[in-house]
Amino acid sequence: MAKLTIDDLKKIKEKVHKEMSLRDGDRRVKVTVHMGTCGIASGAKEVMDTLLEEIEAAKVHDVVVTTSGCMGLCSREPLVTVEVLNQEPIKYEYVNPNKIRQIFKRHVLSGEVQTPFVLAKGTEIIK
Amino acid sequence: MKVFRSHLLLCGGTGCQASGSLGVKNAILEEIVKRKLADEIKVVETGCNGFCALGPILVIYPEGVIYINLKPADIPELVEEHLVKGRIVEKLLYREPGTDKIIPTMQDIPFFAHQELRALKNRGLIDPEKIEEYIARDGYAGMAKALTEMTPDQIVQEMLDSGLRGRGGAGFPTGLKWKFAAQSPSDVKYVLCNADEGDPGAFMDRSILEADPHSVLEGMVIAAKAIGSGHGYIYCRAEYPLAIHRLNVAIDQAKEAGLLGKDILGTGFNFDLEIYQGAGAFVCGEETALMTSIEGKRGMPRPRPPFPAVAGLWQKPSILNNVETLANVGQIILRGANWYSSVGTEKSKGTKVFALTGDVNNVGLVEVPMGTKLGTIVYDIGGGIPKGKKFKAAQLGGPSGGMIPVQHLNAPVDYEKVMELGAIMGSGGLIVMNEDKCAVDMARFFMDFCQDESCGKCTPCREGTKRMLDILTDITKGKGKAGDIELLEDMASVIKNSALCGLGQTAPNPVLSTLRYFRKEYEEHIFEHRCRATVCHAMYKSPCQHTCPIEMDIPSYIALIREGRFEDAYKILLQTNPFPSVCGRVCDHKCQSKCRRGNMDEPLAIKFLKRFITDNAPRPRTEPVPVTRKEKIAVIGAGPAGLTAARDLALRGYKVTVFEELNKAGGMLYWGIPSYRLPRNILDGEIDDIRALGVEIKLNTRIGKDITFAKLEKEFDYIYLATGAHKSQKMGVKGEDLKNVYGGVEFLRDFNNNEDEWLKGEKTLGKKVAVIGGGNSAIDAARVALRLASEVTILYRRLRADMPAAEEEIKAAEDEGIKIEYLVAPLKIDGTKGKVSSITCQRMTLGDFDNSGRKKPVVVAGSEFQLSVDAIIAAIGQVPDMSFMDKKIGVEINKWDCYNVGKGYKSRTTNPRYFAGGDAETGPDTVIAAIGAGHQAADDIDAAIRVANGEPAYVKPTLEDIFVPLVIDEDSEEVPQMLMPELHHDTRKMSFAEVELGFGREDAIKEACRCLRCDAAV
Amino acid sequence: MKVEDTELLKEFTPEQVEKLNSIIEKHKGKAGALIPVLEEAQVCLEYLPLTVQKKIAAGLNLPLSRVYGVVTFYSFFTMTPRGKHTIRVCLGTACYVRGGKVLTETLEKQFGIKEGETTADRLFTLESVRCLGACGLGPVIVIDEDVHGRVKPGKIKEILTQYN
Repeated sequence: MAKLTIDDLKKIKEKVHKEMSLRDGDRRVKVTVHMGTCGIASGAKEVMDTLLEEIEAAKVHDVVVTTSGCMGLCSREPLVTVEVLNQEPIKYEYVNPNKIRQIFKRHVLSGEVQTPFVLAKGTEIIK
Repeated sequence: MKVFRSHLLLCGGTGCQASGSLGVKNAILEEIVKRKLADEIKVVETGCNGFCALGPILVIYPEGVIYINLKPADIPELVEEHLVKGRIVEKLLYREPGTDKIIPTMQDIPFFAHQELRALKNRGLIDPEKIEEYIARDGYAGMAKALTEMTPDQIVQEMLDSGLRGRGGAGFPTGLKWKFAAQSPSDVKYVLCNADEGDPGAFMDRSILEADPHSVLEGMVIAAKAIGSGHGYIYCRAEYPLAIHRLNVAIDQAKEAGLLGKDILGTGFNFDLEIYQGAGAFVCGEETALMTSIEGKRGMPRPRPPFPAVAGLWQKPSILNNVETLANVGQIILRGANWYSSVGTEKSKGTKVFALTGDVNNVGLVEVPMGTKLGTIVYDIGGGIPKGKKFKAAQLGGPSGGMIPVQHLNAPVDYEKVMELGAIMGSGGLIVMNEDKCAVDMARFFMDFCQDESCGKCTPCREGTKRMLDILTDITKGKGKAGDIELLEDMASVIKNSALCGLGQTAPNPVLSTLRYFRKEYEEHIFEHRCRATVCHAMYKSPCQHTCPIEMDIPSYIALIREGRFEDAYKILLQTNPFPSVCGRVCDHKCQSKCRRGNMDEPLAIKFLKRFITDNAPRPRTEPVPVTRKEKIAVIGAGPAGLTAARDLALRGYKVTVFEELNKAGGMLYWGIPSYRLPRNILDGEIDDIRALGVEIKLNTRIGKDITFAKLEKEFDYIYLATGAHKSQKMGVKGEDLKNVYGGVEFLRDFNNNEDEWLKGEKTLGKKVAVIGGGNSAIDAARVALRLASEVTILYRRLRADMPAAEEEIKAAEDEGIKIEYLVAPLKIDGTKGKVSSITCQRMTLGDFDNSGRKKPVVVAGSEFQLSVDAIIAAIGQVPDMSFMDKKIGVEINKWDCYNVGKGYKSRTTNPRYFAGGDAETGPDTVIAAIGAGHQAADDIDAAIRVANGEPAYVKPTLEDIFVPLVIDEDSEEVPQMLMPELHHDTRKMSFAEVELGFGREDAIKEACRCLRCDAAV
Repeated sequence: MKVEDTELLKEFTPEQVEKLNSIIEKHKGKAGALIPVLEEAQVCLEYLPLTVQKKIAAGLNLPLSRVYGVVTFYSFFTMTPRGKHTIRVCLGTACYVRGGKVLTETLEKQFGIKEGETTADRLFTLESVRCLGACGLGPVIVIDEDVHGRVKPGKIKEILTQYN
């Protein structure tokens, strides 16, 4: 990235926000695997690897996988957030490779929320 | 073409294979061939259908039935039932995630709903290795404002106005620290970030560094501008490799984008920083030690003054700020000091991040406004204590902090309040401890830590912590002596006042804090050789035995069950307990709560095993004991306390007479506990054994009426008052005196006295009965009422988890169809023609915590409702009935209507000839506690007699030597507790037959084999 | 210089000695460089005996006593060789409360060594660590870089078979 000016900061903010809400072929679903040290220790890496394998096998190109740091509720790690465009994000808890396979096939691909594995929907409200 | 009548589609995808679908497939094929169905049933292996977590999965057509989680062992039944008989196997069936199961939103979950994120505002929402995502959420906007629109003075003022205080632990106003550094003249100044986070149990900083590293960088640049610095360091502990990695990526990306380094954002301001790794020394989290460490030396603190703001790193003015503090800075500048100080308390503004860990259900990172109540954090956010254990204390501030016990759950957590309570806010580690933690051991643990981490430079810390640790270790090993506590307090005060740095100055805090709130535990360790949490194992052989109020040798009798030597096991029981058969049915088994097996799967069923012995082995014969002593002893009250004391004294050769007011002996065992829990013949058998020793029980004799106190004192040398607590407390509501409104105990007594009439229906409660209360008496009364053919509802004013009654009793009541309504309290009772007809109640909601750690019920205005009832039983608690007592005899009775034991005595009252114990002295308590009281009284009375006579102390006769083999299994599998077979609830509520049926021999031995023999010594 | 290198070559490979030289060169002249040099040296050599300390002292122009003082002060540095795998049991408060002490005792019994010692076959070194920050998963043990959470004493054998 080139050296930024203050205007650039604002522009980046707008650009990223637009990308998040624009419905283009490039991103229909965003899956975040939360990976702080506690997440990794409970197996978030294996979950991530399995997810990437499944995406490759399914040959889909509209699913974006990203990571973040710790989400706060360490005792239910690994935690994964699935955000389908224009729908509320769904947070899954105690995820393992088998569960992420099911979540990918049934929720990410077919839109069916896997209720027994869900922690909650929505996001934390920042005041 | 072959036509099959059924197709079996078995998922052959990777997930199901990993779960064992091949084994299932083979089992299916085998079974089909075995039953000659190969021509009718076709098995097809399909690709993955997406139900991976529920595999192996089988779909059977034409029905379309889905079976999940299959194992090869399930197949024979499945083939038999479904394919041959055409019946669906329910237990293997897939259940559609119900439409009635609503997905909660994040705001529905208390863990998240109560939090207010500021330092953690980006958590879970950004990829920390993508700077754009940080920028997109207002990242670096604060820095831009500071660099372009504000002067250094303005920045410092904004920080002062915000009220932000150092989040690393000391709580020093950040603005003030920056001001001092800004005012120090120097061309070189340093901005330092303390990312050492050495407090065990604290991981807030790690989380921020891993999830949102740019927030720290932004804060440092702003700080640099404020004080006039061009260089900084982040001192990060080496134990955080992921944090270091993400920081490095963030620094690189920020530099590349011109947000760090030279000419930031084109403003001409320069600030560069690098990471310095720690090397495993807790003391390097201390300000001056940290700086010394960066200088490449041993991390030893320096005396202050000069303060770092004047002469810090390499003697240049430096500021050191904690990670969480810096993470707030960007937003404070962007949104303003007023926004930041809009939450919090008067002196503690903003929010604090806590690492909530330990014995709590929801472990994680919690950010709440300052002033949030401790109870809210532990219970609402943390979800309470797992496994039904009780809250003991919350450790706040790590090894520099202290414990906040149950009585302060309402305390608003901020810097001042926490200090007032004897702890410190610290970095934010909040460790919840349940009843199984020992306060002395925890103090020792923290002192051990400080001792280990002491840098050694100053004598008070280096030597002082060592000596304090030695004393604490001795106490936990049973070697504590009188004066140790005072010595610890003395040393603590010296060390606090003279140590060079914060480590030494705060090292005594955990000791002082535990002495403040748990002094009794220290005294128990030193003087009674007791560790009530059963942690300090030098104090006991096995936790179960140590917890039992009469120290029954549990491992021995369980081992003897395992060997099949039930008679010997019975002998072990009688060594300490005159009522083993009773206890095997009604004891509250605190031993089980400390059973180590419970940490593995479930505790041993100690109570049920005790009962098994008494049900299956002949009771050793009791021979009468000759009276060899001249002193005569009177026992008032034939309950468990009185009868135990009588038995013990008779065994020592005394002539004992027991006076009982009612027409049958047993006290609450007969008159309070119903026969479906404790059959009459069982109780009578154990009481008869006491009679057999030579004890005389005079029934229908009330002291003060049938025999005067004067006569008593003339005929007897010593008198034991064990009159129990059997007067129901009044509810204090209007209409309580109407007919058919009973006290719990009074009702049970009436029932027991007139059983025939009640059973024949001559006396009746009517159809609908309301029982008020939540203790064992209430449950007993309710279940008796139910057997008199009534519809029974229990009304309790708090929640189920708060009920004092034993869990198994509550469950038994529910199984029998008794309704329990929670959060309900009686307001008034109405009647017609002098007899009760309805009760008006109010709904309650839960308010603040009371001293017992339960939330106080608070009336919900306007929530009155009426229940029509034919009878009401108020079982809200009992008090002793002291109406028979004569004030002239000088036995002190306190404001709770209980006997007062003289100061320094265990059972002797204020009149040296009178002793007291059991419920009449303690208030309502358990059977086993009463037995313990009886033992104590016998010891005390005998000792008093011997002292008066100048005789030597009583020497206990040696017990019969019963060999107990030590058999321990090498490996243990997880096995749940053996279930007690019961009468079915529909049949049992029609009679008073004993509900629990007892273990069979095989089951008892199987259960006994689960014992881990904690009493084994190597 | 050459003399010291010969000393070092008795315990370390030529590649390791080269690396050590380059580490010293990289940080030479920087203020406060000692600790980063020691950290990188330890990663490369696995331990820091006196011979190495002498070399570093000479290279950074510091008295040996200073280097020795730092090596013995910080718990990360070791002067004796360590096992192939390091087992670190977390004894931070949260893990302690959830059974960390029992884990240490179990491991000590299993290997016949005390905390801080290395097994005779130089396979495992047993250490305790104060807090790894994974408190949500207590009790925690770290073997090399792998963090194992929610560890029960019965499962230790299973976990250790992965390392040989």
